[in-house]
Amino acid sequence: MDTMQTQTQAATAVQAAAQQHNEPSWLINKRLAALDQMADLPMPLVQRFNYRDWELMPGNLQWADSKRDLAQVADGPVQIVQVGQTTVRVNLPEKLQEQGVVLTDFFTAVKDYPDLVQEAFMTKAMKSNENRLASYHTAYLNAGVFLYVPNNVVISEPIDIQLIQDNTLDQPLNSHVLVVAGRNTEVSVSQHLTTVGENANLANCLMEVIADENSHVTVATLDELGRKTMAYVERRAYAADNASVNWAVGFMNEGNTIGNFDTELNGVGSRADAKVIAITDHDQRMGVNTKITNRGKHTNGNILQRGVILEDSELVYNGIGDIIHGAAGSEAEQENRLLMMSSNAHGNANPILLIDENDVMAGHAASVGQVDEQQLYYLMSRGIRRETAERLVIRGFLGAVLSAIPAKAVRSQLVDIIERKLENGR
Amino acid sequence: MATLEIKDLHVEVTDEENQTAKEILKGVNLTMKTGEIHAIMGPNGTGKSTLSQTIMGQPSYHVTQGDILLNGESIVDMPVDERARKGLFLGMQYPAEIQGVTNAEFLRAAVNARRAKDDQISVMDFLKMLDKNLAILDMSEAMTERYLNEGFSGGEKKRNEILQLLMIQPSFALLDEIDSGLDIDALKVVSKGVNAMRGDNFGSMIITHYQRLLNYIVPDVVHIMMGGRIVKTGDASLAKRLEKEGYAGLRDDLDIDVALVDEN
Ligand SMILES: Nc1ncnc2c1ncn2[C@@H]1O[C@H](COP(=O)(O)OP(=O)(O)OP(=O)(O)O)[C@@H](O)[C@H]1O
Ligand SMILES: [Mg+2]
Repeated sequence: MDTMQTQTQAATAVQAAAQQHNEPSWLINKRLAALDQMADLPMPLVQRFNYRDWELMPGNLQWADSKRDLAQVADGPVQIVQVGQTTVRVNLPEKLQEQGVVLTDFFTAVKDYPDLVQEAFMTKAMKSNENRLASYHTAYLNAGVFLYVPNNVVISEPIDIQLIQDNTLDQPLNSHVLVVAGRNTEVSVSQHLTTVGENANLANCLMEVIADENSHVTVATLDELGRKTMAYVERRAYAADNASVNWAVGFMNEGNTIGNFDTELNGVGSRADAKVIAITDHDQRMGVNTKITNRGKHTNGNILQRGVILEDSELVYNGIGDIIHGAAGSEAEQENRLLMMSSNAHGNANPILLIDENDVMAGHAASVGQVDEQQLYYLMSRGIRRETAERLVIRGFLGAVLSAIPAKAVRSQLVDIIERKLENGR
Repeated sequence: MATLEIKDLHVEVTDEENQTAKEILKGVNLTMKTGEIHAIMGPNGTGKSTLSQTIMGQPSYHVTQGDILLNGESIVDMPVDERARKGLFLGMQYPAEIQGVTNAEFLRAAVNARRAKDDQISVMDFLKMLDKNLAILDMSEAMTERYLNEGFSGGEKKRNEILQLLMIQPSFALLDEIDSGLDIDALKVVSKGVNAMRGDNFGSMIITHYQRLLNYIVPDVVHIMMGGRIVKTGDASLAKRLEKEGYAGLRDDLDIDVALVDEN
């Protein structure tokens, strides 16, 4: 079969599935355009990390219901829970509904709020034609969440987005979380990604955050996709004038994973803070790009990444600070540190500063090292056993990021996951 | 009563640069019992820290001859944490700094390390004990919420070593220059901490350069170390004599054949 023919067949299949799903023509066209350009686009560049042989684009768009009882998640006051493509519950207090806040399944939003979704979906924070996995995502999108916070609304309660990949089925999870925060808003989102079931599937999970003027958006994530899931996780933000976006990513997926976290500081005086913690184990491979682009004047970007590499695993941290010409008075700081816990561990902490503007302050620090024997000796000289001493040192190493995670619940869950990984990974 | 016996102890370190072994301790003999305070004095570079680190089990120091017995049991093959749980404590000359681990969290881990899994200290009891010891050492509670030794001043680090001593309650404390860098008030406070431990169930080996500390913690026995050996043992008056005569005088008095660092 020649590629033209395959391409046409794929387009026909996507179109049929989307129509069966009663999607509006703008979305179907967007899918088809993305599909059309896929082959010509490059894969996302993750420096010093080779994933050429990963199968990241299984081409099937199907609709399937998941069993609702696969979602074992405690009820939360402001919450959406999805297992696979099935929305299990949405809790949105009346007061927020009255203020115009929207929290719903993505495809419901496409029906009920077509203008809002069409304006924001893959238009501002990222575009389908940026790389091949983004275009794949658009073409094969099969789940998602839409959160809309109208101008001047401040939400004090964190919004809990629980996405459970259904690996009892045989299909990828291509999920899109779209967050639109209007002017002068304040919202904090926590996202929890998990897997149920034993099948091997892809997860292609994207999140877009559009932070309008003077909005303040905080996102804390707990990524716990299963060992049999190969994952591409991309999180993007667009920050308008004086907006701030704070990321805290607990990257605890168990399978091979690529992370792409990228914030564009477009508006004057906008700020971003990106904190990432990862632990890898077994023969897992993980490559992470964390990037902040300073485009507007007086913007401020801060990247802090720490990772622990256990057993035979590999973890690569690229910290990318991109200061565009004209972003005068901007600051870009980054720190990428890795701790290797075994002699078979592979790590790379790679700061990349791209600076095309003179009037800026930029700095970086990076390190890849082992647990300090002097520190261990000191702790052990107080009777503390080696394993406990190592755990203390590692926890301390991750502490700089941990303590900065604003959502207390996320923080303590993350601590538990870390403890469990360290317990197993020795 | 517990005993700590050092028998004909010879210790080597490996020189990092040229990978050659260098003998530092050349036959140390010393016996301590709980209830006793021993002071060890001696010129720079003579092996005092080496002795304390070797007793504790720092892995860079290799015992090539002799033995260390704790209550009659040889400990030279035990890892450091096991020695600690058997009752040894080393107040270090240069305590490590550990980012991200609070002092309180560390102290609790240390206290619990010596207790059975099903008999871990309750938060209430721990805090009670902590408060009592903080008061003895005139330390603020804020110090316990800071990261372990990180950014502590020299004096604060020493005080923190003594806080650990009071919390852990070992049978034997080896205190290496616990007085260096302390102002007069801090010296009194630290001494008060050590004296609070004094009693039938506690013994200490205090390494110091200064007689002044021994005015506050009066030793039962004073040892002078030179050239990797203990060359003279006496009572508290020996330290006073040393203060007057200096090591050169004492060496010549005793007719010992060692070179001192400050001589040319
Ligand atoms: N880990 C090591 N590696 C190499 N040499 C060492 C090591 N530890 C000690 N030494 C050497 O052994 C000798 C004794 O050192 P030690 O620290 O025991 O002396 P000290 O009596 O405590 O001196 P001070 O009064 O200055 O503290 C010194 O020459 C020192 O350089
Ligand atoms: Mg010394």
